Amino acid sequence: MMHDDEKFNEWLQGAAKGYHAPRPTPYEEMWAQIQAERAQRARRVVVLRPWMRWGLAAAAVLVLGIGIGRWMEHEATVRGGTLVASADTGGNRDVVYQVAATQYLSRTETFLTGFRADLRAGRVDTRFMGQARDLLTTTRLLLDSPAANDPRMRALLEDLELVLAQISQLEAGRDNRNSDLITQDMDQRSVLPKLRSAIPAGPVPVRTEGAI
Amino acid sequence: MDERDLINRVRAGDGIAERALYDAHVDRVYRLAYRLAGDDALAQDFTQETFIRAFAKLDTFRGDSALSTWLHAITTTVVLNGLRKVKRFHQREADLEAADGVSGARREAEPDLKARLRQAIDALPQGYRTVFVMHDIEGFTHEEIGVALGVETGTSKAQLSRARAKLRESLADFAGEWVS
Repeated sequence: MMHDDEKFNEWLQGAAKGYHAPRPTPYEEMWAQIQAERAQRARRVVVLRPWMRWGLAAAAVLVLGIGIGRWMEHEATVRGGTLVASADTGGNRDVVYQVAATQYLSRTETFLTGFRADLRAGRVDTRFMGQARDLLTTTRLLLDSPAANDPRMRALLEDLELVLAQISQLEAGRDNRNSDLITQDMDQRSVLPKLRSAIPAGPVPVRTEGAI
Repeated sequence: MDERDLINRVRAGDGIAERALYDAHVDRVYRLAYRLAGDDALAQDFTQETFIRAFAKLDTFRGDSALSTWLHAITTTVVLNGLRKVKRFHQREADLEAADGVSGARREAEPDLKARLRQAIDALPQGYRTVFVMHDIEGFTHEEIGVALGVETGTSKAQLSRARAKLRESLADFAGEWVS
């Protein structure tokens, strides 16, 4: 004779078949979505990965460079009595800032060149706003460092701060007028020519090689 | 075609093999997602995400278990994580409604057995409900459930037993249905 528990379990299995009963599987609908989503994710990976890798590496160099610079400055202050040691440290510190600034300027030049090109092609998206915010943080960090002691560098950094702040506040696809104003502003201030002339010739690793 | 060959062809980027793999498994994945989510749009989203992840991670499939078991493990992860997010979202909405004082009057408990059963299953703790749905409704074995949920077979059995006990308690008014 069947026990109550068994009876209940048997009844339950039958009764529960109607729980969230699925409709027929929409094969084609879901397959189309899967293909579309995979294609979109693949594009996102191709577009973002080089930027992110390069951006992260450059940012790491900058943060490290500025950190070392500040540490050396602190050391120099502590050991202030020794003239020779102080002069050496000052020289090394300048080199560190120079490396950091060169990395930053190269990255900003590439960014602004890409931004202008994509703007002309009507392709500006949120990726640029994120990059601009990232570079803006570094600009402010450099403005606050001995790299900005040179008046020409300070003026350039201030121009870049303004341009990057404007780009970071754009709304993707909805700000054509402001985008035009930014490029006009860049042209009037000759931001890109100044930026290019401030970067030593050669690819980034070569530019920093001699300094280190 | 042998499953191993199919997997190798998908790994080699064969689009036809991808579709064949999808056709072979999508029905069960979708059914499980639907049973757990109780909503067609969510079930479709979860199924799509399951296959997107599966195709992306197929290189990591070592063949220790059947491909279906591996796929169902991805399905349950996607569905349970997704449902947690949905639940949090609904909770926030409910909190906002309560704060605004606009919540509707509480619905009277529906008297019919089908509705009561649905409510009782919905009210089960997530772990119990998942095992109950997989075993008693979708016919998975405890071994398959164990692999999919990353628990011991014994745990699956224990959770099923507790789920049934809770349901029996919740449906005590309808005891005549199964005692007779």
